[in-house]
Amino acid sequence: MENIQMLLKQGAVGRPCAPVVAVGDKVKKGTLIATPTGLGVNVHSSVYGEVVEITEDRIIIKPDEEQPDEYVKIAKGSNLEMIKEAGVIGQGGAGFPTFIKIYNGKEDKPVLDHGYILVNASECEPGLAHNIQQIDEDPATLLRGIHYLMEIAGADKGIIAIKKKHRATIEKLDALLKDDPDIERHLLPDIYPMGEERAVVRECLGIELEPDKLPSAANAVVINSETVYSCVAAIEDQKPLIDKNITVRGMIEGGNEAHVFEHVPVGTSVQALIERAGGLDKRGYGEIIMGGAFTGKACNLEDPITKCTGAILVTRQFRDLKGAKVGILVCACGGNLERMEDLVAKYNGTVGHVCYCKQAAEMPNGTRKCERPGNCPGQVKNNLEFKKAGCEYIIIGNCSDCSNTVMASGPKMGLKVMHMTDLAMMAVGHPLYRTLKVSKKVDQDLNVVDNVEDNETVQ
Amino acid sequence: MSITAETAKQHANDPAVLCCRAEAGTELTPANFEDPAIFPDLVDSGLLNLDGALTLGQVLNGSKLTKTVDSLTPVTADIVDKYDAAEGAEEAPAAEAAPVVEAAPVAAPAPAPAAGGYITLHIGEGKDINITIPTGVGGGVAAAPAAVAAPAVAAAAPAAKAEEEGEAVVVREMTRKHYKIDKVVLGDETKIEGTTLYIRQAAAQEGADAQKLVHSLVLDVITPDNYHVYSETVMDIQPIATKEEDAELGEGVTRVLDGVVMVVTGITEEGVQVGEFGSSEGYIDENMMWGRPGAVDKGEIIIRAHAVIDNKKNMERPGPIAIHTAVDHVTQEIRQAMKKQLTDEQVVETQVLRQVRRPGKKKIVIVKEIMGQGAMHDNFLFPTEPVGVLGAKPNVDLGNVPVAANPLEVMDGCIHALTCIGPASKEMSRHYWREPLVYEALHDDDVDVVGVIFVGSPQANTDKFYVSRRLGQMVESMNVDGAFVTTEGFGNNHVDFTSHIEQIGKRGVPVVGFSFCAVQGALVTGNKYCDAMVDNNKSMSGIENEVLACNTLCHEDAIRGLAMLKAKMAGESIKAPERKYTHAVKESNVELIEKAYGRKIELVENEQSLPLSEKRKAKYD
Repeated sequence: MENIQMLLKQGAVGRPCAPVVAVGDKVKKGTLIATPTGLGVNVHSSVYGEVVEITEDRIIIKPDEEQPDEYVKIAKGSNLEMIKEAGVIGQGGAGFPTFIKIYNGKEDKPVLDHGYILVNASECEPGLAHNIQQIDEDPATLLRGIHYLMEIAGADKGIIAIKKKHRATIEKLDALLKDDPDIERHLLPDIYPMGEERAVVRECLGIELEPDKLPSAANAVVINSETVYSCVAAIEDQKPLIDKNITVRGMIEGGNEAHVFEHVPVGTSVQALIERAGGLDKRGYGEIIMGGAFTGKACNLEDPITKCTGAILVTRQFRDLKGAKVGILVCACGGNLERMEDLVAKYNGTVGHVCYCKQAAEMPNGTRKCERPGNCPGQVKNNLEFKKAGCEYIIIGNCSDCSNTVMASGPKMGLKVMHMTDLAMMAVGHPLYRTLKVSKKVDQDLNVVDNVEDNETVQ
Repeated sequence: MSITAETAKQHANDPAVLCCRAEAGTELTPANFEDPAIFPDLVDSGLLNLDGALTLGQVLNGSKLTKTVDSLTPVTADIVDKYDAAEGAEEAPAAEAAPVVEAAPVAAPAPAPAAGGYITLHIGEGKDINITIPTGVGGGVAAAPAAVAAPAVAAAAPAAKAEEEGEAVVVREMTRKHYKIDKVVLGDETKIEGTTLYIRQAAAQEGADAQKLVHSLVLDVITPDNYHVYSETVMDIQPIATKEEDAELGEGVTRVLDGVVMVVTGITEEGVQVGEFGSSEGYIDENMMWGRPGAVDKGEIIIRAHAVIDNKKNMERPGPIAIHTAVDHVTQEIRQAMKKQLTDEQVVETQVLRQVRRPGKKKIVIVKEIMGQGAMHDNFLFPTEPVGVLGAKPNVDLGNVPVAANPLEVMDGCIHALTCIGPASKEMSRHYWREPLVYEALHDDDVDVVGVIFVGSPQANTDKFYVSRRLGQMVESMNVDGAFVTTEGFGNNHVDFTSHIEQIGKRGVPVVGFSFCAVQGALVTGNKYCDAMVDNNKSMSGIENEVLACNTLCHEDAIRGLAMLKAKMAGESIKAPERKYTHAVKESNVELIEKAYGRKIELVENEQSLPLSEKRKAKYD
């Protein structure tokens, strides 16, 4: 078994933790090995073994041959304390510490005023399957978890936001929900993005939040479904967050079906996961993305997964654009400029011009958030700029709606449109993000077949 | 891009076109609509057909879509449940119609522009830029100064026309004494004998030796009988002038040599031209736009000071500074000789330059943006001697902040220009000595010029906005009725150029901008105050053609700008320009002004009047 690499910074946000073990220490599954120095959570060993190296950013553990299922339990305490002790962070992407999301330090005044726990079960990034599989296998635990969180955060209601296409899973949920008046489900269309937290708030509550506002402004906490399960494990089983469900998919030997691995020890390498899935496709591949195709980042085989890694996607090979001028349209829903420039370089293109989607509001920390996720502000002006700058191609990272708008004028102007997710979508067998033919609204009745619009009839 | 409620209101009579896909049942709001400002581009490129489109005003009162339609679909009657009737009569498309000129010149010397036709001015293909101006700017026909070459800078004596507002007031005056030079000899001593200028040749190497970066500085003399001489890129053209006694710039007496100019050229050891966007190297007769305010006049003797500097220093500020300082060592020696040896008997012409104010007339300020990006872009401000080096402060070191000057200081060489941007649009030191806009504005009986402000164009955008905010505040405190903003070069400097206009414009002061734009230099930015622009382009193809000073501000531009500003100050709107650059707009504006003023405007020649260089043949024409 390969060495396990526990990063001291497990989420995209926060500060690196400080190791509390030394080289040579024997550790067990669940042994606390690093504690926060600022915004962050406890890190526990995901295996039995020995600490063989501690570097600036990680603790490296050589696993024992024997790996019993038992783990070192966290101390008993209040539900909140156990979630904190277990080092639970949001598993939807950014890895924000969960206990901070649901508790504001005031004993007498919870974060919500009779508000909502909104569970993001949208599995928003295309091609992923581990979230829905988890709910499908054990919907009851999800509901228990929502109740725990409602109590801590001061919510009266829980809403599970799930895409309508997952009919079988929704039926299982519905069977349980008919006896649970405090929790309901909200059906989402199958478009990108639906899991962005303000999109979840808008879909479930009808409140459009400004980009700099948190869901708390709508009296809600948005929490990823897998995170809910981790909270239940912490509370009921005194289990620290040491393993993770992962979708591995794409250019893998044996086909492009999703490989869902449950309880993968945090710190496992990308390579180990790909080998477990069947190994890299021998015909070649483009890049390996850690995370989803929109918001993930290119990674190396030796990189370890963290508590908030959801997927490993292996993409198709890059075409060679032979230095052609490529315009970059940066939006908040897809890659940032750095990621887009990386893609252009991998395509062997030359960056011809950069535009930002009008709605990609820049936040004080330099990241961007969409003002109205999933609702396009118009893109033709950017296309005119790309054309004027002499771009032959453009690469976009936009949502379904904006991509559709780009397509309404780009190709007619002679711009060849590429989407940053194209190679991943081809690799997983998902339609490319181009035009939008489905409605952005779905009927909340599972039995109503939604109208699939044909938007080519009127031109 | 989707629009705001405010924009929708402004464009209530423009077609309603969806910016994005919208589903059946959607109640239309401004966020559903594309900005009408970009429709012309879309129609041009065949992306949009506005036939049958309802207007924004018709569909923003609760209309709902009855069909799901895609981005860029015009809203027509068949896809909405209801719509309002069109408001009033059809919008007159007259704004684009041929300009009407009836001008009806007012006989009385009434200064207020009378209503009249419109002049259309076009700039680049950008947005928010172009213009139509009313031309009925009656009055003031009599005293119009005409000739570009008129030697007198003195404010035309307004005595004949006792304005109701009061007499023109002479604020200050200075004298230029001209001395004729018809022969230049390089020798062992710097002196002037009769009309012959002798220059001590060794002075050049001394100047070079004092500058670490300058390897050599060599003088030679190019005479009118042989202008077909190869030259490296021209960095500057300077009048040779000196102050009498201890007079400061803009006052007392200035002595200037006629018939001869100092021309600075430079390359690096490796032979790279000291220039950024293009360079004017080549045969002088093929690359010099004779007679431009900043250029050599045909018939003048050129003293060429050619410097060779360290490799890689051609694009760094210390390189050009070293060259100019070395050359000034030579010029300073000539100035010393002029002070000691010239006598009043040798004066061939005496000009009195007067700065006049016209109380009661529209007060205007002239803002000149000068390059200050560092690299090679800098200017020495207020040297002790006209276009000197000693005593001057580089505007980069001053932080590029706005600095006030009076018109006489400008025409007495208070700017020593170091910038080496596009040769065709660069304002040489000599340009300021003969600044056409300052000249024309001072001579215009309808306006009261309060002064000239120089503002640098820094490199970083944050610095650009820093200086333009200071400029706006300075102009506000002047309490003027109108402002000109000029710039040289194109591209980077347009960011601050348009910001200057915005800062002044948003304070309620009408602004007219001057820049080379045309085809190659189309504005890269813009704002709603950039609606009155004069294009300095003279080149046939609308490009930076590397012909020295070809596209700089000339008298003909100043005259159009004045007409435009007067129109704007009178509250007239300026017609939007053609969408693509065409000479026709300028031509029709000139024609309209000629009719309105009863004055013939002499247009200068362009590069087509020069022998065609191999470079131009290969690269441009």
